Amino acid sequence: MPQTASDFIYLDHAATTPVRQEVLDAMLPFLGNRFGNPSSMHRWGRDARVALDEARERVAGALGARVDEICFTSGGTEADNLAILGAWHRRRAERPAVVTSPIEHKAVLATAHQVAREGGEERIACVTPDGVVDVADAERLIDEKVAVVSIMWVNNEIGTVQDVPRIGAAARARGALMHTDAVQAFGKVALDLSTLPVDLLSISGHKIGAPKGIGAMFVRRGVQIEPLFHGGAQDRGRRPGTENVAYAFAQATAAELAVRDREKEQARLRALRDELENAILAAVPDAIVHGLKAPRVGHITSVSVPGIDAESLLMALDLEGIGASAGSACQSGSVSPSHVLAAMGVRPEIATAAVRMSLGSLSSEEAIRHVAERFPALVRRARDFSGLAAESAALAQV
Amino acid sequence: MAGGSKGRVLVAMSGGVDSSVTAGLLVDQGYDVVGATMKLFCHGDEVPDRPCCSLDSINDARRVCDTLGVPHYVLNMESAFGRDVVDDFVREYARGRTPIPCVRCNTFTKFRDLVHKADAIGAGWVATGHYARMIGGALHRGVDAAKDQSYFLWGIDRGVLSRLLLPIGELTKAETRARARAMGLRVVADKVESQDICFVPDGDHARVIAARLGGDAPALAPGNFVRADGTVVGRHDGFARYTVGQRRGLPGGFREPMFVTEIRAASREVVIGPRAELLGRGVIARELRWLVDAPRVGEHVELQVRHRASPARAEIVRIEGDEIELALDEPVAAIAPGQSLVLYRGDLVLGGGVIEGARRALPVLAA
Repeated sequence: MPQTASDFIYLDHAATTPVRQEVLDAMLPFLGNRFGNPSSMHRWGRDARVALDEARERVAGALGARVDEICFTSGGTEADNLAILGAWHRRRAERPAVVTSPIEHKAVLATAHQVAREGGEERIACVTPDGVVDVADAERLIDEKVAVVSIMWVNNEIGTVQDVPRIGAAARARGALMHTDAVQAFGKVALDLSTLPVDLLSISGHKIGAPKGIGAMFVRRGVQIEPLFHGGAQDRGRRPGTENVAYAFAQATAAELAVRDREKEQARLRALRDELENAILAAVPDAIVHGLKAPRVGHITSVSVPGIDAESLLMALDLEGIGASAGSACQSGSVSPSHVLAAMGVRPEIATAAVRMSLGSLSSEEAIRHVAERFPALVRRARDFSGLAAESAALAQV
Repeated sequence: MAGGSKGRVLVAMSGGVDSSVTAGLLVDQGYDVVGATMKLFCHGDEVPDRPCCSLDSINDARRVCDTLGVPHYVLNMESAFGRDVVDDFVREYARGRTPIPCVRCNTFTKFRDLVHKADAIGAGWVATGHYARMIGGALHRGVDAAKDQSYFLWGIDRGVLSRLLLPIGELTKAETRARARAMGLRVVADKVESQDICFVPDGDHARVIAARLGGDAPALAPGNFVRADGTVVGRHDGFARYTVGQRRGLPGGFREPMFVTEIRAASREVVIGPRAELLGRGVIARELRWLVDAPRVGEHVELQVRHRASPARAEIVRIEGDEIELALDEPVAAIAPGQSLVLYRGDLVLGGGVIEGARRALPVLAA
């Protein structure tokens, strides 16, 4: 494990982020003497309840939502499940279908599959080769049979921004609910739910400096969903279970900081990201940046170097103290082929080469310059080595 | 992550005791060790969106590396392994042969694909927990005769030998376990050894064949047990369930013990006969590969036609392209097509091939 952070370069902020000091400070009292259960009537309970309400208010404020529209969850995955399954369970009698895209996070895709397993219909919209959901195709799939449309705001593997407002408007026009997984968008793109045609939205805490294990779902006032859990009346019955006040407070603090810093931080990261991409493309001219021509957030880049599989490059980077990732990891920690790149029509040998680097609070200018220099060097080494190996293999076969 | 002075080595780690001790020994010897566990197959195909398996062994390997203070990676080599090893395994059984997937895994997965990963991380060395030894750049049997695994390594690229480290080949299995305990690798020190093929965990290879070829594949369809002259003596439930030399599951009522002596895939016949009909005086193998400069026709060598068999003396009577034929000094029983023929000179592995068939009569030197 890293002894000193400065020796190592963390380029995986889209996977998770360190807890911000302000967030840790804000949540600690609730792990100490402010430990009450928000449902209790006594002073400890009241204190916790007030804190929880405040947290809810502050998350609502950060999203442009009203306080009763915010529901705390264990994270983005639960929020996605609750939004899609909750809405579909409520409406399936008249509206048996859901619409989503093939580039969604597994939390959404697997939930859409669950809808199908429970007898519903999943409809998958096409994406362009640049990794953007084809709006016309999504519109074509949305009809009066659709209960909920779920299209992510920002893709977690390549950073492309989806046209959620237009797809949301189309959903609304046909009486479908619009859900968006905004886990990678919140704190990165401007997002105001008071004006957006979105009914359900998921965010996660640990992508923005809160701990893992907290997230939130926005449920527009008047939208009815079935709970996934059964128990007490917490959170208006939408999410039973004693609330995690400490983490809700952490989520609120992190959300406010993310909104406050958003423009400045995105501009900073975008400049660094572009510099990194340009350096790689200059040194490795055949490298491919996925989604390059699409609208993208500023902090994610996904690069394939033909002939060098992602696993090898990620190992080589890690051995130099640089932490990046492939698009999606499976439970064993191995790299599995990216469903996102496959949906974009990227050839398998290029898709399996894709390395995602995601910048964030730990990305200093110095760190990115170092990576911009080391990445091409590691590519050169891998190519030289494997060239030699291929040569000797060829000789052996003669 | 202190880099060792002897250079970087990529160690294939299964989560078992042998490869764990391999990594530990190389750390002690001053190598810059990088551990990798290859994820080769998945038993979870029936569970969509959850393509993970053999997690426990992966986790054990990761913990061992953590104890040793070296990095560990999980490499997803499922598709190449499926193509190079599992597909061939199924194809061979469908042809009535008895393949050794471990040989192809060594040839293609460990000592080709994994070596490419080593290239990419600038690792000049690759290591595995095989009981075999590298001496002066040449492959030799392991010290522990009961554990020797050199038989499975004949197919590796000769060019890789100079980069290969096999440190536990110097140890007995008991010594390996003792080393594991001494290194504090309690997770793996007393693990029970699996005798199964890794992707056939319950030993039911017919199920793997059925999964790939369908339950109605000819290799799994009923057919006749016959004698060598064609006399029908019973019915079997699929020739892929039988191997040359097998005694189990054959019809009874004969005066002598009966063995499978041949599998005729085209007619789905399993030929059975007494021990005398199981003996071969010559052996032919293909896909020949040498790990030393090729010996000449007429030379005498030792050979093994199966793992753990005692070496037999033989004379090379023919080498043509990638095919070799040898005349055996003494008859050898149960020469099974698909198994490996490995040639030795003492402990030195000369090379090997895949057995094509036996000759009942003694082959004659061509020249």
